Amino acid sequence: MEKVWIAFAAALAVGLPAIATAWAQSRIGAAGAGTIAEKPELTGTIIILVAIPETMVILGFVVAAMILLL
Amino acid sequence: MITRMAKIELVGPKDDLMAALDLLHSRGIFQFEPQLPTESVAGVDRPHMLVLDQEGLRERLFFEKLRERIIALLNLLPDVAVPALPLQPLPVMDLLDELVDGHLAEARRLDGQARTLRHEEEQLARTLLFWNTLEPLWAELPSEANLELIGVTILHANQLPLLEAALHRRLAGRCQLSSTQAADGTLVGLIACDREMAGPLRAALTSEQVPEMPLPPGFAELPATRRVAALRARMDSCRSDRLAAENTLAELSRSWRNIYQQAREWLDERLELYAATVAIYATRQCFILHGWLAESETIGLRQALSEAFAGRVVLAELDILEDELERVPVQLANPAYFAPFEIFSRLLPLPRYTSYDPTPFIGIFFPVFFGLMLGDIGYGAVLFAIAAPMARCGRGVAGDLGKVFGIAALYAMIFGIFFGELFGDLGRRWLQLHPLWLERSAAMLPTMLLALTVGSAHILFGLLLGAWSELRRHRGREALLRLALLLTVLLLVLVALGRIFPAPWLATGPLLTGVAILLPVLIIAGGLLAPLELLKTLGNVISYVRIMAIGISSVLLAVVANQLGGAVGNLLIGILIAGILHAFNLLLGVFAPSVHALRLHYVEFFSKFLDLGGRRFEPFGKPRPTPQERRR
Repeated sequence: MEKVWIAFAAALAVGLPAIATAWAQSRIGAAGAGTIAEKPELTGTIIILVAIPETMVILGFVVAAMILLL
Repeated sequence: MITRMAKIELVGPKDDLMAALDLLHSRGIFQFEPQLPTESVAGVDRPHMLVLDQEGLRERLFFEKLRERIIALLNLLPDVAVPALPLQPLPVMDLLDELVDGHLAEARRLDGQARTLRHEEEQLARTLLFWNTLEPLWAELPSEANLELIGVTILHANQLPLLEAALHRRLAGRCQLSSTQAADGTLVGLIACDREMAGPLRAALTSEQVPEMPLPPGFAELPATRRVAALRARMDSCRSDRLAAENTLAELSRSWRNIYQQAREWLDERLELYAATVAIYATRQCFILHGWLAESETIGLRQALSEAFAGRVVLAELDILEDELERVPVQLANPAYFAPFEIFSRLLPLPRYTSYDPTPFIGIFFPVFFGLMLGDIGYGAVLFAIAAPMARCGRGVAGDLGKVFGIAALYAMIFGIFFGELFGDLGRRWLQLHPLWLERSAAMLPTMLLALTVGSAHILFGLLLGAWSELRRHRGREALLRLALLLTVLLLVLVALGRIFPAPWLATGPLLTGVAILLPVLIIAGGLLAPLELLKTLGNVISYVRIMAIGISSVLLAVVANQLGGAVGNLLIGILIAGILHAFNLLLGVFAPSVHALRLHYVEFFSKFLDLGGRRFEPFGKPRPTPQERRR
């Protein structure tokens, strides 16, 4: 039973930040698409901006890994 | 690297002003500074901004108007291949001013005529296609003089029976509809009826929204049998008239385009010189030019001035004052290895003159981070094979990306050897390849520690650069804040290290005492928000964990690809499935490490020391192409 709870906690640790990242990227992506349509030279900057919220899911992944391994 | 700039003042007699400007324009190395330095303003004959006299103003207006008309003419003249003629534009400017109006009017007339005829030709071609298609239909009709023929375009095939029913209902069957398909696939119809029924028929077509194919004026009255021949004759006549107009225009272009083109280039340069006069100061007898150029160009310019003016125009190198440092323009120049990495540093605003060029830092650390994340011999080799041909494309975007990813791929292969990875675990299973250092898929914690160690070193280096940068700008308090942050982070990292690898010299007590001593220093140097800055910096270090996270996700995807490929049971299908999954993983493995390695630089590393918002070095004029370059 304990293993189930550990797996569930790890799933939550990576799942919730993944949803948050997806929501943030959807907002940034939509704004970024509009920006690129007007200023294509900002494409590189927009790609970086879209990648910024990925920090959440990456840290979530790390926490999940620690829950499973430690 | 940020090029070292020199603050320059050029002084000479007013008569030599245009020649001096011409020399600066041709060399393209000098940027004007519209503000005169304060030390130049002293003296009895105070310098004032140069204003063009009546004659100069008149000449400038004359050149501007002439240029406008020449551009209008060049836009109309077709580009025809003519050998270049040597021409001194200045002596012929008055002649060109007299001729250009006549040439412009003639070119406009010929161009307008050709456009009208081309438009008519296109309309006739459409009409002809339509009536050619209908020709077999009216051959079947009775040859009654009182018959009206109306051509229509039917938009959809299912509209045809509806139209037939509507016509039968409205005209009580006193018309006949035949249809066929044109060469371009359009469905066309021919409606024949008595002349007195033409009005109600047209009203019925309008209400049914069926477009009638109109005939050009003069053709509707002709009998149907003669219409096609008349349309063809008119089209031939239009074509020959249009070709005649275009040939005359091409002849005009052959005779004059080259001359006007050279005149236009000369006028562009001349007007650029006039535009530069707003940044020129003058006394009663002398002109003063003040601005910037790369320090390495100073000797060459001094020599050129000496040769051209025999010492009449003098170049003086002034000291750059501290309050002028913000105004010094910035030019980046990097060695061949780092230059392709400018493609990433260009995404940022330009650094200030007193700051650092971010390119060498990206050039050193980006491939390392990329290699740590991808870390696979197979993926690195495939990426290198793709990047190497791109790298031969020169200094364009493709060439630069090819060079950057070629270097990054080499690092991926090197780290792949350390991690013992070749397309995931394929090397271990098939070639008995073993990791020299870490097996990432099985050693998550050591990989995480590696990522955090790399992050700590990167951030501490950034803080050190920041402290040095602040010291150079004589901002002691900011420098102290950076140093205190650096030491505090270092001590906290050592505390964490001592917990993981206990050692006598890593005792927690003394290290934490050091942190406690540094905290008041932090608050004194950075205010009450300094502890927040410390937390932010620690967050920056933790952010480097992404190196481990992306690396492990990449290796696990590769392992999954191998397992799925192996689970199929058929060698060929297994290779195909594994190949597709590896290709997908490689695509992710190039995109994600690139974006995250850049993000670690832009957000975490550069925020510690880089001062952005520099002014771009935009030199006046550019080197003129030689006659050989022109011909090329």
